[in-house]
Amino acid sequence: MTDTWPYLDVHQSRTHEPTPYEYKLAATLEEVFTHEGHELTDVVRGLNARKVHTADGAPWTEESFRAEMNRLGA
Amino acid sequence: MTLTSFTTADRIYATGLRNQWHPVVPSRFVAPGAMRKVTALGEQWLLFRRSDGALSMLADRCPHRGAPLSLGRHLGDRVACWYHGVEVGADGTVTSVPGLPGCNLEGKKLVTSLPVREVGGAILAWFGDEEHPEPAELTLPDPLTDPAADAFLCYAEWDVPWRYAVENLLDPMHGAFLHHESHTMFAGDTTAKFRIRETDRGYFFEKTDQRGVNFDWVELCRTGVDWVDLSIPYPPSAGPGGPFGIVGMVCPVDEHRSGVFFWRYRRVEDWQRDSWRFLYKTLIEKRHWEVLEQDRVMLEAMPADADQRENLYQHDLGVVRLRRLYRAEAEAQSSA
Repeated sequence: MTDTWPYLDVHQSRTHEPTPYEYKLAATLEEVFTHEGHELTDVVRGLNARKVHTADGAPWTEESFRAEMNRLGA
Repeated sequence: MTLTSFTTADRIYATGLRNQWHPVVPSRFVAPGAMRKVTALGEQWLLFRRSDGALSMLADRCPHRGAPLSLGRHLGDRVACWYHGVEVGADGTVTSVPGLPGCNLEGKKLVTSLPVREVGGAILAWFGDEEHPEPAELTLPDPLTDPAADAFLCYAEWDVPWRYAVENLLDPMHGAFLHHESHTMFAGDTTAKFRIRETDRGYFFEKTDQRGVNFDWVELCRTGVDWVDLSIPYPPSAGPGGPFGIVGMVCPVDEHRSGVFFWRYRRVEDWQRDSWRFLYKTLIEKRHWEVLEQDRVMLEAMPADADQRENLYQHDLGVVRLRRLYRAEAEAQSSA
């Protein structure tokens, strides 16, 4: 922890630099929210249609998406 | 003490109002078992945290010869001055004078100790004057206590007088110009009419002809600590949950510097909350930061006499009101 003035830190909420998978998922999620809608069904369909899958390569389900957001966003 | 009978209204106006709570630094700046030197309201302080997490805030001044305690050693439940080893407890009491055991300094509470609270990841302290050492009631900002709202704290240090940082928040119209190229404040009219609307804790300064499009309103809240609440729309890319809000507070560091505290909050729950938090950490926090930097660049570039040579217009009513309020309080505190 630095105590030199001024403290100007862009990232204060992260625990780690996002992985390439996390960046890809976040960018695609923004695209899906913009073009497909804000319902959970829209999001799962939109991600799968773009072939941006879970970390182990499986298509998203509502359950797996909820669980992954909880892991990444908590 | 922070305020003596020699303190003038100008000094209070420049370094922050007394007899209220102010934010100091984020809680994470003082790890368990650690201490940290900070400046607030133009004075030097020592934040001291025991290993069990208990926090105290002491004047950074050894009662013996005035050496900074922050150069000393953390001894678990007290600090030892480096100069002559005088030991001071977390409440400001001299616990030991190793060079002269039994010295009459021992057992006396000779170091100012400010009441502290930790709120939403920030340390708040009560800066009372000699006549008001006991803290007044503190009502926390509701977005930080509402279980349906979720918040991230962003803290930054600016070379800006504290009032300029608060005035910037009571000036919503700058959003449509300074932040026009941002991800959240590109929309809406660049002309507006404003009004002041009183509340039981402060006042709203708001556009009469547009809401929910840009930075269209702000509420100044004086609830023991001064804070503002405001709301800014998110684009559809941020997902469900509507606009995000900001609770803003400013620490008057000294007459030239401020610590700014912005809690970005959103009323979201369940997977919507989690996805916003994920996007915030991955992509949105950096965009918010870029907007905040626009404020810093502009405010740090303002000349020192900016508020002495102005030509104000209708959009500045919120700022005028703020200055009048703070000036009156500074006058009252200096003559008290």
